[in-house]
Amino acid sequence: MTKLVTGDGRTHIESALMRESLVDRRVVAKTDSEKEFAIMPDVVLVGIGGQSIFDRGKAAVLPVVDELRELRAARMTTKPGASKPPAMVLGVGGGTRVRHTVSVALDLGIPTGGVAQLVGAMEEANAVFLNALLAKHGSIVMQREHFWELPLYLESGMLPIVISIPPYHFWEPPPEDGPLPTHGSDFGLFIHAEVLGMKKLVFVKDEDGLYDRDPKRHEGAKLIPKITLSELLANMPDELIVDRQLFTSWQRARHVTEIQIVNGLVPGQLTKALAGEPVGTVIRRTA
Amino acid sequence: MNPTKTERRRIASSLVDATLTTGGMPEGIDYSPVAMMPDVRVMKIGGQSVMDRGRAALYPILDEVVAAKDKHKLLLCCGGGTRARHIYSVASDLELPTGVLAALGGYVPRQNARMLQMLLAKHGGLFILHDDFEKLPLYFRLGCIPIMTGMPPFGYWEKPSQGGRIPEHRTDAGVFLTAEALGVKRAIFVKDEDGLYTDDPKKNPKAERIHRITAKELIERDLPDLVVERVVLEYLARSTFCTELQIINGLEKGQLTRALEGEDVGTIITR
Repeated sequence: MTKLVTGDGRTHIESALMRESLVDRRVVAKTDSEKEFAIMPDVVLVGIGGQSIFDRGKAAVLPVVDELRELRAARMTTKPGASKPPAMVLGVGGGTRVRHTVSVALDLGIPTGGVAQLVGAMEEANAVFLNALLAKHGSIVMQREHFWELPLYLESGMLPIVISIPPYHFWEPPPEDGPLPTHGSDFGLFIHAEVLGMKKLVFVKDEDGLYDRDPKRHEGAKLIPKITLSELLANMPDELIVDRQLFTSWQRARHVTEIQIVNGLVPGQLTKALAGEPVGTVIRRTA
Repeated sequence: MNPTKTERRRIASSLVDATLTTGGMPEGIDYSPVAMMPDVRVMKIGGQSVMDRGRAALYPILDEVVAAKDKHKLLLCCGGGTRARHIYSVASDLELPTGVLAALGGYVPRQNARMLQMLLAKHGGLFILHDDFEKLPLYFRLGCIPIMTGMPPFGYWEKPSQGGRIPEHRTDAGVFLTAEALGVKRAIFVKDEDGLYTDDPKKNPKAERIHRITAKELIERDLPDLVVERVVLEYLARSTFCTELQIINGLEKGQLTRALEGEDVGTIITR
């Protein structure tokens, strides 16, 4: 039975961390582990770009919706021997309205935490758009506090759409450089996948993957089909298609082993990525 | 229609073409951030250092809080303490990830905040959630003492930690970030020691109190143990508003009152 320990003016509950300073590196090291429990390892998180897909409207969004519908149908099939795609959790980016929000907010002198508080609304709007189009195929916009209902939705074959922006809000840590919050929606989806022990994320954008420079501005930009996280960190492109913070945090992650970036304007790329084919850019945590 | 030929529908703005992942100050923006409520006194009531000591430690501190409440806008944030340590210990043993530890660890400071609310209810103590943050002006105008958890709202979205699994952003970080968000210069940490010493005063009687030290000096000392969470020192070096932490001894009668008056009691950690 657990003991209560007194005698120094405080009441402690006996535990390995009792009376310890949680700031002490030696104490923290005791909690390190290489075999962390994976909560939902076989689920894949699919992030759909805001600017890259949603802001293009019908011509770009509907084919992606079709593909998601087919993937879900394939997963639900009872045909014997059919190969089934993995269960998916969906997330969406905010796109051009986020830029406009940030631009106006910075001009008004809104502090960084305030900017972080504002931007999530624009992607929530995209989540509603996606849900309206996919509702009859089993999608649902999940509220943050419904975090632990994810197994319910996945077991029943639904397509949960989660809030991408992490709940840092007013408490956004001061950025290393400049006033823009660094914990954006790509990072939020990454951390969502990591905490649930998922192995893979797929980002659906409007380019064939990650390039050494922004291909929209530079003619000769080169596609990087395959790269490891350490290679990428050693030679980080200045202009990135996903949040920088994602890569920084990935270094310490224990579950996510692969992030794939595919072109949502090319029908079938997402399906191939979910089947494990190396389309677009495949970034692996280790070689 | 070929989607590759469909333009992105964009809203014109100074950031329409910017790569937001590059960092730095976006071109063409003259940024001068506004401090939202710089006159609020943001204070943390320690978990292990105060709450777990019970009535003997807490009641005199609350007397000082009540005496100061009509003079200052006080925002009380709570630490966790031994029950949070027990949760982290059990969760680590079960091999659960950092984000789950952070979400679970959040329950304890919330309990402590609720206890403070019950004790301060007759003086206007008000338990608030992160979502109530934007209503602070109302609470202060009504003369209330808002009380919230010290944990930041990151929860499951807490980043994996380096060299262990205990979340890096706990109640010190949350209190610092609360002060930073409100545009408050100094965050006050009510603990059970007179601030920071050159050595552990409980073991070395010759240990001297440090009155003032910079975050950089503290980081350079590379101590295995520290008086506040490491990330706070890191953030202090690059914050916009909150540039000072004050660590005071709540067990010393009057120290909190003097700190609320702006006196440099305890230890001040500056940028």
